[in-house]
Amino acid sequence: MGQTAASAAKTRGESGPLAILCEGVSFTYPGADAPALENVTLRVPTGERLGILGPNGGGKSTLLSLILGLQGGHTGRIEVLGMSPGRARAAGTIAYVAQRTGLERAMPLSVRQAVTLGAAWREPPWRGAGAEARARVEAALDLVGAGALAERPIGKLSGGELQRALIARALAARPRILLLDEPAVGIDVAGQRLLAELLERIRAGMGVTTVVVSHDLRAIAAGSDRVACLARRLHSHVSPAGLTPQVLAEVFSHDVAGLVGLEGRGVHVHAHEAGGAGGTGGGGCAQCHDDADGARGPEGGAV
Amino acid sequence: MRTLEYLSDPVLRSIYLPGIGVGALAALACGIVSPAVVVKRLGFVGQGISHSAFGGIGVASLLAAWGLIETGGRAEFAVVVAFCAAAAWGMGVVGGAAAGRRSGSEDTAIGVFLVASMALGAILVQVAREHALASGRAGDVRSWESILFGSVSVTGMEEVRLCAAVAGLVALSAWAFRRPGLFWAADEEAARAFGVPTRAVRAGLMLALALVVVTTMKVAGVVLSTALLVLPGATALRVSDRLATVWGLSVAVGLAGIGAGFVVSFETGWQPGPSIVAALVAMYAAALAVGKR
Repeated sequence: MGQTAASAAKTRGESGPLAILCEGVSFTYPGADAPALENVTLRVPTGERLGILGPNGGGKSTLLSLILGLQGGHTGRIEVLGMSPGRARAAGTIAYVAQRTGLERAMPLSVRQAVTLGAAWREPPWRGAGAEARARVEAALDLVGAGALAERPIGKLSGGELQRALIARALAARPRILLLDEPAVGIDVAGQRLLAELLERIRAGMGVTTVVVSHDLRAIAAGSDRVACLARRLHSHVSPAGLTPQVLAEVFSHDVAGLVGLEGRGVHVHAHEAGGAGGTGGGGCAQCHDDADGARGPEGGAV
Repeated sequence: MRTLEYLSDPVLRSIYLPGIGVGALAALACGIVSPAVVVKRLGFVGQGISHSAFGGIGVASLLAAWGLIETGGRAEFAVVVAFCAAAAWGMGVVGGAAAGRRSGSEDTAIGVFLVASMALGAILVQVAREHALASGRAGDVRSWESILFGSVSVTGMEEVRLCAAVAGLVALSAWAFRRPGLFWAADEEAARAFGVPTRAVRAGLMLALALVVVTTMKVAGVVLSTALLVLPGATALRVSDRLATVWGLSVAVGLAGIGAGFVVSFETGWQPGPSIVAALVAMYAAALAVGKR
């Protein structure tokens, strides 16, 4: 499978092996009327920082669940570093920072203990966290700037501090891919800037491929090489520089389109490369009309 | 001091010492799982499992009335544990399925299993009693009072050995699976994403709960055994936010509750079960008043 993905990437002229490959992925929750994801094709080269932007309910978290192998029942193909998602997760090659609602803040753990769980939970019980694991914990804490918080209880951290601690926990596992789900929820603008700087440090320091999903454009724009727009279907990609106020308005009009029922009529609003083919000027979008006509965009709807 | 009389008199000591031993071992087992129960908000699950013991006792009583097992023996213990474990599994499966269909919740499933087990237990104990009376073995069926509130008079060295085995098993499991267990308790969603077998961890905790409930109810009774699962951990978590301190305090509070409860029971003549719970509640109230969290 790994060879298949790698050779396919080569055929497409992409540089380097793919960290994540989704091909024609569709998924419908049991009992749901409409699919949560429809024919999503996504290629993420290793080392890239990809932001996935979309409205609430647009399928962002579902896509992460599928990439992590936490959710089955999809159609299409998903590979993570050439492996099945479940195998990649079991191998510890992919780490995940969830929306922080899942964390039990009453749990009596210090930041260092919580981060150590990420590094050493697989260690046999008769062995303490080894020197190598402890070194990874300290390196992760330093990288996210949480060294001074190491002895603080996780229940007493602010939103931004907790976010850094959770990222440190993920990094301490030494993953090759880091997925972050809505990392900027509850963090102010200054915190989001720090988050973007942190993602850059992670790439520079560890070469980790990062995928950040958010409905908040500010959280996506500053820390990504490429931004994809997901609203059930993956529409297009854009460099952060192309995220002009006009483009933002169009991206977030997905919410409006969904509310007024335009989505069901095949009308989508896309973000495009700054200076690229039209569509941001409000006069219509070539890819939208292609989609509405049943045709594919330049990349076949793939990103 | 009637307590000293109880403990110095050879006859009384032989009656109460096994009960105190069972209580101490149950407090050890409960104290180990209690912080996880509190953090994961599994108190109602614990109550559901403890009340499902009614059904287990009903089945065991019927088997005893038929002469297939002995009342109070290992076979009865195994039957009740198996019933509680099956009920815990059922609560998880039905609750999960109901939540998935959005037609109910885990709480509803627990409530259904709880009342169904109590009803089944009540019916089977009555049937067993009638059968035992008819066949001249009335002593083979437990009294409702001992099921509800426990009875030290039914405990002997056999129960002490059984409880020691259970406490040892719970302590060993907690040590062996401390890392995946802590990860699951702290952040279940992330733990699953990191590859922690969260379903197995939850199932293991449910089995541990079933074991400690059945162990505890000998002394504290079915209704009150929930208190030993919840109050030590809740008290410790009010006082500290350090992992080792919380777990140590949880066990210490459970042991202190058993000790204080028996002293109150000896001094006043009240039942040990309610006395133990009263002592635990008093410690929790004190922690609320002075606790830092």
